[in-house]
Amino acid sequence: MTTNHDQEDLMQKPSRNPDAEGDTTVRGNVDEIFFQPRVMVIDDEERIRDACDRMLTEDGFEVACACNGEEGLQLIQEAHFDIILLDLMMAGLSGFEVLTRVKSLHPDTVIIVITGYATIEHSIEAMKKGAFDFLPKPFSPEDLRLVVRKAIEFIRTLQDISTEKSRMRVLINLLADGVLTTDNQKKVALANPAFLKMIGSTRTNVQGCPADEIVTDSALLEMIDQALGQPSGSFSEITEEIRISGDSQDKETILGATCIPFRDRLGRNLGTVTVLNDITTLKHLDQVKSDFVSMVAHEIKSPLNSVLMLLDNVKSGLAGEVNDKQAEILGRVTERIKSLTSLSSELLDLAKIESGLIHQEREEVDIAALMEEQADLYRPKAESRSIDLKVLPADGPVSAMGNRTNLCEVMANLISNAIRYTPEGGQIRISAGVEDNFAVFSVADTGFGIDAEEQERIFQRFYRVKTEQTRPISGTGLGLAIVKSIVEAHHGRIQVDSQPGQGSTFRVYLPRMQM
Amino acid sequence: MSEKFIMVVDDDPDLVEAVSMKLESKQFRVAKAYDGEEAMEKLKGEKPDLVILDVMMPRKNGWVVCDEIKNNDATKNIVVVMLTAVGDAVQSTSYTHHDGKTTLADDYVPKPIDMDKLMEIVDDHLGA
Repeated sequence: MTTNHDQEDLMQKPSRNPDAEGDTTVRGNVDEIFFQPRVMVIDDEERIRDACDRMLTEDGFEVACACNGEEGLQLIQEAHFDIILLDLMMAGLSGFEVLTRVKSLHPDTVIIVITGYATIEHSIEAMKKGAFDFLPKPFSPEDLRLVVRKAIEFIRTLQDISTEKSRMRVLINLLADGVLTTDNQKKVALANPAFLKMIGSTRTNVQGCPADEIVTDSALLEMIDQALGQPSGSFSEITEEIRISGDSQDKETILGATCIPFRDRLGRNLGTVTVLNDITTLKHLDQVKSDFVSMVAHEIKSPLNSVLMLLDNVKSGLAGEVNDKQAEILGRVTERIKSLTSLSSELLDLAKIESGLIHQEREEVDIAALMEEQADLYRPKAESRSIDLKVLPADGPVSAMGNRTNLCEVMANLISNAIRYTPEGGQIRISAGVEDNFAVFSVADTGFGIDAEEQERIFQRFYRVKTEQTRPISGTGLGLAIVKSIVEAHHGRIQVDSQPGQGSTFRVYLPRMQM
Repeated sequence: MSEKFIMVVDDDPDLVEAVSMKLESKQFRVAKAYDGEEAMEKLKGEKPDLVILDVMMPRKNGWVVCDEIKNNDATKNIVVVMLTAVGDAVQSTSYTHHDGKTTLADDYVPKPIDMDKLMEIVDDHLGA
């Protein structure tokens, strides 16, 4: 299996041109085929030439005849033939010589050898010299049709591949993202203009040259090495931020680079695909945002903490005796301020998580195992409230491409929510499975449930469901917003099914790894 | 026991007030300063036994003040306790942890301050 072939397999092939369908039977109308094949018959027997000519013309081919090798070679210099029917034993130039010459001049011409003495030796020799098939004399019109049909199938497959390749190339060249593919020797198979521009290369023809000739950034080369070095059992996307310096500091470009190996059916590394994404503006905006959030958080948190310390001093009587009523009020003030400081902490967390989502490392994550881990962490808390927390076994392996830390955060949030919003004695069931192209994990509880109206709003920042049951439960209303941000950054989705009083089920869908 | 003398340096007056109040309640004498320059100026006078020193301050930050105290024979015996908040909030300022590692402070207390812990550290260093 060749590299190119598998590369085609990686991409989903669109269905064939509908015009080309319906000709899988031996006898089909050639006119329906998207090209009119040109056939040449080279034979010194007039009877054979005429028979072939008549029959193939009837079937819609364009036919030319030559009575010896010299004439045949003359004709192929004037026009291209898709198929040549070639007699092996002729006076003058032998069929074998003609075969060799045609193959060197027109390598994509399909040659079918005709001979009166079909020996194994001759067949093998003709095949070795590049013949496509063998037609022993005498043959019936049906024999001829069969072998010509087969040749046309072959030509069409080659054309499909080349159309597909050119379509793919146009598509990749159009992309604003930079794309580089290499073979497993780190030779460039393809580098689109966006890629060359991003890495600052002015070269135009790079196919076949070693990757380190056009890529100078060591981090990028290292990624390609890492991708090729991955053993067949494991598969992870290698993700880095790469800084390409321009003429001045202002012109620095920040690229998000992702590199993955691609493999054949046996899991052998055939090469790598690297995608570059210009994230300079995003990073810049993110820096501005994160500076701002940090500043605000600092400016809010610090004074609040000072106020808390002062309050503590007053409560402990350092500023004179405190009566019971005053102590109670000071206690309430303290609690209120503490919840404000924890809100500013969570805001900082959210800002950090969101900025981390712009470009982050992903790997193949075993969802089922991660779920067990998180469930174990939360089991003591559930048991302390007499809640029965169980992980249902998965049918098979469930994995997705993702960032492990982020996915832990998602599960932890959903499980801890389930515990907090389920009354004592309730049940929580956690499960994982596969649905189409998604890995799914779900957390189902027998808790208070959520009104249909509220269901849409619970993922909004700072939104908290306020009912009699939930009022005593503390929280900032940011947990599910964080969960949603993470899931969406993974190109997944989260949904909730719930009935008030019956409990809620949160389901997270993450795209599975596509090989 | 003679009263130990402590200087509290932070640009947040409420923090200085809260810590001073607590220290005074434990019979320490307290001096206050609100930025690095002011602290250095006051250190020319009566030398404290211990300085509680914030990192992020205008006009000379805490790391610099600490280095100056420790590199001057007149002040190098003063115990320096740094208040650090750099790690949790601000990652991209000129006050980084890297600088902190090379300073000669005797102890570190993270912000927000755990008052009991700060008092414990003060007691440990002053042998009260």
